[in-house]
Amino acid sequence: MPVVRLQSVDGEVFPVDVEIARMSFAIRNMLDDLGVQDNDAEEVIPLPNVTGPILRKVIEWCTHHKDDPPPPEEDDTREKRTDDIPAWDQEFLRVDQAVLFDIILAANYLDIKGLLDVTCKTVANMIKGKTPEEIRKLFNIKNDFTPAEEEQIRKENEWCEEK
Amino acid sequence: MKNSQHNNHVRSKNRNTVEEESLINQKLPKELLLRIFSFLDVVALCRCAQVSKCWNLLALDGSNWKKIDLFDFQTDIEGAVVENIARRAGGFLKKLSLRGCQSVGDSALKTFSQQCHNIEDLNLEMCKRITDITCICLSRNGRKLQKLDLESCSNITDESLKALGEGCPNLVHINISWCDIITERGISCLSRGCSKLQTFIAKSRDSFIDNECISHLANNCPLLEVVNVRGAMALTDDAILRLAQSCPNIHYLCITGCCNLTDSTLLALAQYCHKLSTLEATNCSQFTDNGFQALAKNCHYLEKMDLEDCVLITDNTLTYLASGCPRLEQLTLSHCELITDDGIRQLGMAPCAAEHLTILELDNCPLITDASLEHLVACHNLQRIELYDCQLITRAGIRRLRNHLPNIRVHAYFAPMTPPPPVGGSRQRYCRCCVIL
Repeated sequence: MPVVRLQSVDGEVFPVDVEIARMSFAIRNMLDDLGVQDNDAEEVIPLPNVTGPILRKVIEWCTHHKDDPPPPEEDDTREKRTDDIPAWDQEFLRVDQAVLFDIILAANYLDIKGLLDVTCKTVANMIKGKTPEEIRKLFNIKNDFTPAEEEQIRKENEWCEEK
Repeated sequence: MKNSQHNNHVRSKNRNTVEEESLINQKLPKELLLRIFSFLDVVALCRCAQVSKCWNLLALDGSNWKKIDLFDFQTDIEGAVVENIARRAGGFLKKLSLRGCQSVGDSALKTFSQQCHNIEDLNLEMCKRITDITCICLSRNGRKLQKLDLESCSNITDESLKALGEGCPNLVHINISWCDIITERGISCLSRGCSKLQTFIAKSRDSFIDNECISHLANNCPLLEVVNVRGAMALTDDAILRLAQSCPNIHYLCITGCCNLTDSTLLALAQYCHKLSTLEATNCSQFTDNGFQALAKNCHYLEKMDLEDCVLITDNTLTYLASGCPRLEQLTLSHCELITDDGIRQLGMAPCAAEHLTILELDNCPLITDASLEHLVACHNLQRIELYDCQLITRAGIRRLRNHLPNIRVHAYFAPMTPPPPVGGSRQRYCRCCVIL
């Protein structure tokens, strides 16, 4: 299996099977643009936005999912499901918020739709079922409404709460 | 590479506020927060809107409000809520269901139609307070409207259909069931303006749908695929003939309760509507084996047939269906009292039996015996069989069927061991909807 070398911003180099690296549309485009030959193992691809530890996680995810069918196209009609995260991914994403957000950024930068979706769904699941105050606590967000604003916004949104 | 720049940018911008600013807002740019929000339901979005000013803007961003179903909140939805959502969602909103939101009236929907001019799919079923004003507003602003459900909006008159015909040329789906003050004049206006209609649903008890209505649809809407005129008691064969001739794409037809129809209707469908896959014809009691012979010979895609109370059909109909309809999945023969074990035997040997047949309703077929159940043992996909009031079916027969088809749901009822004292008059019947196992 041909290999490419991915270099993180902190200089760590990861040899990765081409097929796995190509799950990233950003890397895929780079390889295509560079016209990199299959056996051109010396080529190093610098990834200036991803650190070594995060790149390692991303490669681990891609390796596990290398045989997945391609994710469906962006589509407004898709269901807002978040209960379909595979068990392996749930375990894989049991990480600090900082790491989780970095994986989201890396998945976005590298354009890996499957990973971006599953990480965003994971954050969505952290939010679901919580009250505004619980959400603030979860993410350390400051309530910057005035009491009057807060009351107004609570009223606007109270229809969705169980009475 | 998309979005390569924001990452460092956001980080450096926030470096000196790290202590106070939360990690999520600090790390993730707006478009990624919105992507996370795109997986939230309306409840979570409404709560996120209350977290902080920044999250309020994100949660209320129109991109999160493209498809909204408020059925679960129906009793809490006042007009003001709809107006509020309409302002949040604006041009993003494409699909809205207010099904059952009975407090919502014309003024809220007026605001809605002004704000949400890209709406494509609007469900107003049971919004009983709305009147023609709503449809007139929609016709002014909703040129993109494709699906509109007005079921049980009983104030709707011909004026609504006239407005829709004038302003909503892209309508492909309309449901005006139980809108009982509509007349033929409204259908005429609607069909002339909405020639792309594919789905026309107008269920009713003693429906306003008459031959003239069907003529309008046939003349103006050749793309019709789904037609439901349940309860149109006045319809005659001429109307169905005209519809079938003009609309060869019809694959779903419900003529339940159209009791004047005869075999000529089935002959017309057989001749012109070869794509027919669902036929609901409960109470079409003049249909006979001759009609179904023609239908089965020509409509090979038939999957679902409801022939309840087609009391004249015999085992011959089953023979025809068995040979002509290899895709048959659901067959209802309730109260078809002439059906015997021999008909079921034909069905059990048919190409549809092993692969497709999933539901068979034989309740109140008094001649059916355990032998019928024996004929069905090879129907591996059979999931449900109805046997209420099949007096000759025994517990032992059902047990034997279950040995072959362990997952089948059998709905039957056996009278108590001590027979009740004889009563004069008609024998007792059990309602089909009562699940008595």
